[in-house]
Amino acid sequence: MQGNDGNSNRFALNRRGVLAGGAAALAASASRTRAAPVVPQGKLTLAWHTNIAARWLDPQQHDGTASPDNFLMALHDGLMKNYRDTLYDHPALAERFEFAEDSKSATFSLRAGTKFHDGTPVTTADVKWSYEHYRGAWGEVLRERTQDVELVDDRTVRFHFKEPFLDFPILMGTANVCGAGWVVPAKYYQQVGQAGFLQKPIGAGPYRLVSQEPGVKLELEAFADYYRPVHIKQFTMVSVPEAATRVAMLERGEADIVYFVPGELIERVKTNPKLRLAPVVSGNWWLEFPGFQNPSNPFHDKRVRQAISLAVDRDAINDAECGGMGVVDGNWINNDVEYGLEWPKWPRDIAKAKQLMAEAGFPNGFNVDWVTPTPNYYSRGERIVSQLQAIGIRSRLQVMERGVYLKKMQGGMREWPGTQIIFNATRIGGTWSNWYDSMFKCGGFNSKDFFCVKELDGLFSKYLASFDRNERKQIAEQIQKTILEEYYFVPVFRHAFVNAIGPRLAMQKWQDVFPTVTTGYAYPWEELQLA
Amino acid sequence: MGQFIFRRTLYAVATLFILSLTIFTVVRLTGDPVTLMAEPGAQEADLALVRSEWGLDQPLPVQYAAFVKNIITGELGQSFNYEMPVSTLYFQRLPNSLELALAATLISFVIGIPAGILSAVRVNSAWDHVGKTIALLGLSVPGFWLGLVLILVFSVWLEWLPTSGQGSWRNLIMPAVALGWYFAASLLRLTRSSMLEVLRSEYIKLARLKGLPAFAVIAMHAFKNALIPVLTLAGINLVVMLNAAVIIEVIFAWPGIGRLLYEGIFQRDFPLVQGVVMEAGIMIVLINLLVDILYAYIDPRIRLTR
Repeated sequence: MQGNDGNSNRFALNRRGVLAGGAAALAASASRTRAAPVVPQGKLTLAWHTNIAARWLDPQQHDGTASPDNFLMALHDGLMKNYRDTLYDHPALAERFEFAEDSKSATFSLRAGTKFHDGTPVTTADVKWSYEHYRGAWGEVLRERTQDVELVDDRTVRFHFKEPFLDFPILMGTANVCGAGWVVPAKYYQQVGQAGFLQKPIGAGPYRLVSQEPGVKLELEAFADYYRPVHIKQFTMVSVPEAATRVAMLERGEADIVYFVPGELIERVKTNPKLRLAPVVSGNWWLEFPGFQNPSNPFHDKRVRQAISLAVDRDAINDAECGGMGVVDGNWINNDVEYGLEWPKWPRDIAKAKQLMAEAGFPNGFNVDWVTPTPNYYSRGERIVSQLQAIGIRSRLQVMERGVYLKKMQGGMREWPGTQIIFNATRIGGTWSNWYDSMFKCGGFNSKDFFCVKELDGLFSKYLASFDRNERKQIAEQIQKTILEEYYFVPVFRHAFVNAIGPRLAMQKWQDVFPTVTTGYAYPWEELQLA
Repeated sequence: MGQFIFRRTLYAVATLFILSLTIFTVVRLTGDPVTLMAEPGAQEADLALVRSEWGLDQPLPVQYAAFVKNIITGELGQSFNYEMPVSTLYFQRLPNSLELALAATLISFVIGIPAGILSAVRVNSAWDHVGKTIALLGLSVPGFWLGLVLILVFSVWLEWLPTSGQGSWRNLIMPAVALGWYFAASLLRLTRSSMLEVLRSEYIKLARLKGLPAFAVIAMHAFKNALIPVLTLAGINLVVMLNAAVIIEVIFAWPGIGRLLYEGIFQRDFPLVQGVVMEAGIMIVLINLLVDILYAYIDPRIRLTR
């Protein structure tokens, strides 16, 4: 696999002929560069929806969550990254990269003249140091599989692996999974240490940090030496935990972008002609039945699980919870990850559901101990409880605080005795296998002993052991298909992470401000312009 | 007197010990901070690494000993979330909270004390009814609701004041009103009842009989004596406003200690929660100790009481 600047090679693994497309895109990119220089001006204010954790400013300690993405994309830059509809292989600090056919090495050529915010050049030594000292999510995996990092010349760095490492590009390029591909200035980092770096992070991104109030506010300024034009001069990210305040800020013109507008405030934004909603389709929601493998569990019968799927009114949930702005599709895995399978919308048919329940020996339904939704989306659980009554499934809503919920999820079946339905949800970037590994596999981080379908786990081991891309794709699809056809999981919908945009930003449609498909955030920051 | 101070100091230390143990236990009952930091895609090895890095893999007595050591050295530990000493964070936010708390105290004084005096002096009059209504509203209208209404009216509709954040004096008005409103009501009630009690006392009757003007009786004799419990309450209110204005600081995005506590709870940042609560606890215990000693100094009977 090879990639060049501007080349949108989505799922380009093993694809030939990329160079031609890349060359054309390079030409287009070069013509853009030749245009009149952009003088950044004006001020952009983003109202962030939680507090701002200091660790999000340091790619070296990426915690594997989506949140750092928002900050990394402003302050730092990676060798390659997700960008607009390019999922993970958009060239950034590297102008060119190549993954060996045998997947045992990867070579990156650095863009000429790139600098960190302190004016020092981005070097291959920085790349090597950043990779080798990376201690965030997936760091162990990368260390285990990497033989060494070779500095080929001043601008070329090559990673050698002990064995074929097919997931390497995805890990390196997916900003909301892993930060190993993000380059920090090695000397400065060593000089100030981790704590010092968090206070004054220096990166190679489009914005440099001017000041910060820990947890509260970041003041940023356009970085003049960034290799792409940056349009807005000053950029403030301010933490505003209260949603109503964020919306008021937008209405008053104190903020230009606000993240996370909850359902009850959507209408207020919608009816304001100056404002625009940006419903970014995000995480997936599905029903799961811990312990269904036990023959005494009513969900052991596939017909019961299918009946549940037929009884759920997905459109109603989407309408009520996300103003209809989510997506009612068929898979429980997002389609913007590698090998994520497209699946048609599920039908709703109460009569057939009742018939299936009767055939399964439950003509009058049965009791479910608890329906537990992912916190804090309790009203979604209430809708499931209410909808399942139509086929005689009587249940109660179990509300848990988020920390307690996560702890119980990781406790396995002993934490979920009896008959249970979990209305689970997540958003994981990169590849489908991250989803399976943590949400379905026996012993997975969040699946523990809930499901344990040996046949599928066996296939998954085969997938992990395989170095043949075609075989991996085939296995990935087979596993996903089985989960869906057997109703091991009952997908419900992909919810919308609803954001809002104020009148000062230039745009034709909200996607101009939220163009990157893999994230709920508004980057690439350098491209945003004031009207 | 020395013995009294020693005994009281011992009580204060014991209180702080119990407080530290309670905080330490309670924050750990709320879940594993590492699981909250991690997304489903994270690996078990990553979590183990984080646990070890933060000492969360150590036995609880070891963790508690580290916590106590941190209190004694004044460090209060390192925040998981900010990777900074909790004491640094606390003292960074303290001036902001102090600014807000003092403004809210001022508002509570300006509303609560005159209205309380007026209610007591004109008891059962229209003034008193207005005062009682203010007190009722102040105590029953939740601060978060008032805050949101203020934002809607004065920021969004009238466009007079900024919605949130810290900056000029204009940023201070709404959070101070929202925070001070409740405390104004409590001061009003206490001023009223305290004034009523004093106004019924013999020496006030005597002052009136002596022909002192009503203003002098109220201002010079009654109010001075009625003020003692009011000031005691105001002092406690100030400490509460300083450390626990959680909701108001969140609504107005005010970067104070209350919001720091909220962030700590939200992120399961044990050292941060422990540190902020301990600081507040230490503040209250020290103030109480000081008051006890002052009382004993003023009234010798107190120091003889065991």
